[in-house]
Amino acid sequence: MVGDQMKSRRRSRGYWYILPSMVFIVIIFMIPLTYTIVMSFLRWNLLRPDLGIRAAGFSNYVRLFTDPFTLDTVGRTFYFVLGAVLIELIAGLCIALALDTEFKGWKIVQSVLLVPFMIAPVVVGYVWRFVLNSDYGPIIHILRQLGLGGLVEKPLLSNPSAAMPVLIVADAWEYIPFVTLVLLAGLKSIPYEPYEAAFVDGASSLQRFHYITLPLLRPSILVAVVIRTLTSLRVFDIVFIMTGGGPGTATETLAFYGYRTAFQAYNVGFSSAINMLTFAIAVFFTILYMKIIGGGKNYA
Amino acid sequence: MLRKKPFTRIVVFVVIAMALIWTLVPLAWILLSSFKFEADQFSMPPKWVPARITFQNYAKFFGNSEFVRSLINSVMITFFSTVIALLLGVPAAYALARFDWKHANTIAFVVLLARMTPPIVMVLPFFMIARYLGISNTYLPIVLALSFFSVPFAIWMMRGFFQEIPNSLEEAAMIDGCTRFQSLRRVVLPLVMPGLSATSILCALIAWNEFLFALVLTGRDTRPLPVLVNMFVSERNIEWGVMSAAAIITVLPMIVFGLLVQNDLVRGLTMGSSK
Repeated sequence: MVGDQMKSRRRSRGYWYILPSMVFIVIIFMIPLTYTIVMSFLRWNLLRPDLGIRAAGFSNYVRLFTDPFTLDTVGRTFYFVLGAVLIELIAGLCIALALDTEFKGWKIVQSVLLVPFMIAPVVVGYVWRFVLNSDYGPIIHILRQLGLGGLVEKPLLSNPSAAMPVLIVADAWEYIPFVTLVLLAGLKSIPYEPYEAAFVDGASSLQRFHYITLPLLRPSILVAVVIRTLTSLRVFDIVFIMTGGGPGTATETLAFYGYRTAFQAYNVGFSSAINMLTFAIAVFFTILYMKIIGGGKNYA
Repeated sequence: MLRKKPFTRIVVFVVIAMALIWTLVPLAWILLSSFKFEADQFSMPPKWVPARITFQNYAKFFGNSEFVRSLINSVMITFFSTVIALLLGVPAAYALARFDWKHANTIAFVVLLARMTPPIVMVLPFFMIARYLGISNTYLPIVLALSFFSVPFAIWMMRGFFQEIPNSLEEAAMIDGCTRFQSLRRVVLPLVMPGLSATSILCALIAWNEFLFALVLTGRDTRPLPVLVNMFVSERNIEWGVMSAAAIITVLPMIVFGLLVQNDLVRGLTMGSSK
């Protein structure tokens, strides 16, 4: 009884710690979200105030789901996500395994390799535009000297089939360190005993990797993949600064499509419908992430 | 780990060498370019180390009031959004870690969802509301929008740090006559100091590097560095030297701060799922 009373009193104190932030999140989250939902059911173009704001029913969504361009954009977005996450995972795993051998100076190397991750994506876009500049970019020059000039005959960013891979490279440059960090933390938490046992049993290093490291690293790999999927789905900054969605619409992702529709075509109704689709995809992956890390109770 | 065979050492060496080249080549190019004269930017073949170096690009940056204005804006926006994140996030994280909550799962989901929502979903309504309220050219919309990311982030990250402090420490303090607030301030906070500094630096990193919100929600007088970088890149003739100096100035503070807390980075970025 007394204990219960104590507990409930404690909890009522706790409300005062938690209330301000919850009110803040709900206001700053729910009002704009509701606004977006409402706008997605309106016919509203900021450039045509004469038309006014009219109810559109589901017409924005009908247009969204019947326009083949939507599917293309979703496809391009996932092309980017898959390419980026795959490269980041493979490279991140190799680097994490190498760092895990704790060779001399590995901590300094880790710090250096971490640097791109601290850099603003806008600057990353700028850096890669500069080094890949077709006239005086150093990497283009190196490629030409290596006899790979044929690959870069056309300026990369105005070549429809090369532009997206270039964006993926820039994104990978920024986020390989993140995947490396997550996987390295995973590797460090693997106990020593299974390796010892395997060693005694005469397992080769490849076998040890396949039967011990990979399965025990699985949770970390999943976490890295889902977080990177979620954060690369929203890719906007490097698209904006490197290609502007071009050439044509070759690098137009969902976020960029939503942005262009709202701030270049000023069709805020349709843009809101696009953004709701982006949101739905993000919610799906967030739920997936919650499932992976085991619900809210033991997430820390 | 296990005894290293020569073959393993060679593979490790190759992987690390490649990773270092891959990481450092673009960085070195920008750093060196920021010390080149404009004429040397276009030399063919590209010269890594210029024959003469200059600080004129940095001088140009600091001599341009618009650039300096952006730097100040970045500092202000980052500072305010981080302060809000800590003021709101730290008490909530403490309460979530210390008390049983019936709706812990719901709270966790809302917090995580708020963190994971793509900015593009929020930016248009923010823009419309700011325009309607006539506060477009103040720090308010951008600071609130950034706090929308950093408050959930601070809650999620600090909760993990608070959970590591055993409850018995606080109980002992309270038996000795401390109120809960006193025990929080005198016993718990000093112990979570490393976590607190890592959290504030990561909140600052989010705010400092953010682009989409800044692009839409700031105007002439309030635009931070990333938007400035973008403005000059979209021009036909980019002044690569000055731009590179601006890029270096933009990234330098965050690299320094980020490396200071790199050990706590993983926890923050995976939202507490790995330690």
